[in-house]
Amino acid sequence: MKMNKIYDGSHQWIMFGRDTNKPEKIIDTNQYIVKTAKRCLLIDPGGVELFAPMLAAILHHAPVENITDLFASHQDPDVISSLGLWDQALPNAKLHAAQIWEGFIRHFGCESIEYVAIPDNGGTIQLDNVELQIIPAHYMHAAANFNLYDPEARILMSGDVGAALEEPGSPMFVENFDSHIEKMRYFHQRWMPSNQAKRAWIERVRELDVEIMAPQHGRMFRGDDVKRFLDWFEGLQVGIAV
Amino acid sequence: MSTHETRSHFVAVASIAAELSAVMDVAKEISLAAANAKAIAFRAGEKAKGFQPITDFINELAKDTIELVDDINEHAFLLYQLTVKDYRFSEANKRFEQVRQITGEAPFRESMTEPYQQVRYKMQECRKKFNIDISRLQEQLAEVMHPARAARVIAANSRIEASQAGEYLQSLQAVAESVDHAAQIIHEKVQKCRSALSAIDLAQ
Repeated sequence: MKMNKIYDGSHQWIMFGRDTNKPEKIIDTNQYIVKTAKRCLLIDPGGVELFAPMLAAILHHAPVENITDLFASHQDPDVISSLGLWDQALPNAKLHAAQIWEGFIRHFGCESIEYVAIPDNGGTIQLDNVELQIIPAHYMHAAANFNLYDPEARILMSGDVGAALEEPGSPMFVENFDSHIEKMRYFHQRWMPSNQAKRAWIERVRELDVEIMAPQHGRMFRGDDVKRFLDWFEGLQVGIAV
Repeated sequence: MSTHETRSHFVAVASIAAELSAVMDVAKEISLAAANAKAIAFRAGEKAKGFQPITDFINELAKDTIELVDDINEHAFLLYQLTVKDYRFSEANKRFEQVRQITGEAPFRESMTEPYQQVRYKMQECRKKFNIDISRLQEQLAEVMHPARAARVIAANSRIEASQAGEYLQSLQAVAESVDHAAQIIHEKVQKCRSALSAIDLAQ
């Protein structure tokens, strides 16, 4: 599992991904932690098959009891099917996830972890002195979907928005936006169901000051590539399966 | 416990639930047979005088069987929940072991000691409880065999009484046959449940 510190200030953001040992037919995913002195928030913890490498990687940065919070952008198995295992590993943790997905996500196993239901209009997660904003991103692609924004680090964890299916060993950041487009095109056209929802999301995100856009699959975007993505996405027709 | 053994526990407990559901249906049929027999015996009057108290026995047997099966069903469901817990603990144990193997020199490696011990402890406690509950379920299944045996005896007596009932002979014999048949089915299905339970042997 590769680790990449993408922000280092009063707190840290670390990205985990590109696990070379992952089973072949499982989609590659990015996981993130936001780490303060005493606490860690694990963002989109990942699927069952990634649990062991993910936890082993985190143990390089923090003890297990410091993982006090989990966030699930939506309900997909590649996001949160490892929940039952985290439920056994974490002595005192909360899962922040959509209210409407609670009955579904609990099927993965959630007996000791406290489910903190996020209403449709979002909210915040307080991690010591760090306040993260939960940004509604409904129908992007899940019916209830949230992104996470850190105004201090200027990082937006954008879930499946911005995702691309990459070869193993690809760089962590987009280096040439134009050549990256074809890796994203079909994914967004097929997975994002609604042009209306897409426009609402873009409008919301344009209001934010984003230095890094960090999706759940593929490379991250930084600097001007964030705006390039928003402009490109605005012009893309999505929902092509109907 | 291997994945194969875990799967066999799920299958065993699920198959017990399925067999018990069939036993419940059959017990309800006995109840119906008893009601029919009562009606026939009433119409037959003196000719089926000996049959009338038998219908009450049949009804009692059906009620006892239904109550016992209800209890067993509840118990089987709790057992099923235990198999799910056991699966989760086993899976966590396996994955925590993988973490230990790949953590290398991670500075916070030792912080996993307690969760690892906790999950192993929970797994062992779950299995102890499972074994106790399996024994209890075996006892309950043995209890269900008693009304089933009694039903066969009653069916035999019913045939004798039915032979005295003149033109009601066929109807009352049909009742006797259905009670006997139902009792046999209950016996077979409960035997299957007991065999399925005997095949479960959780390692401590």
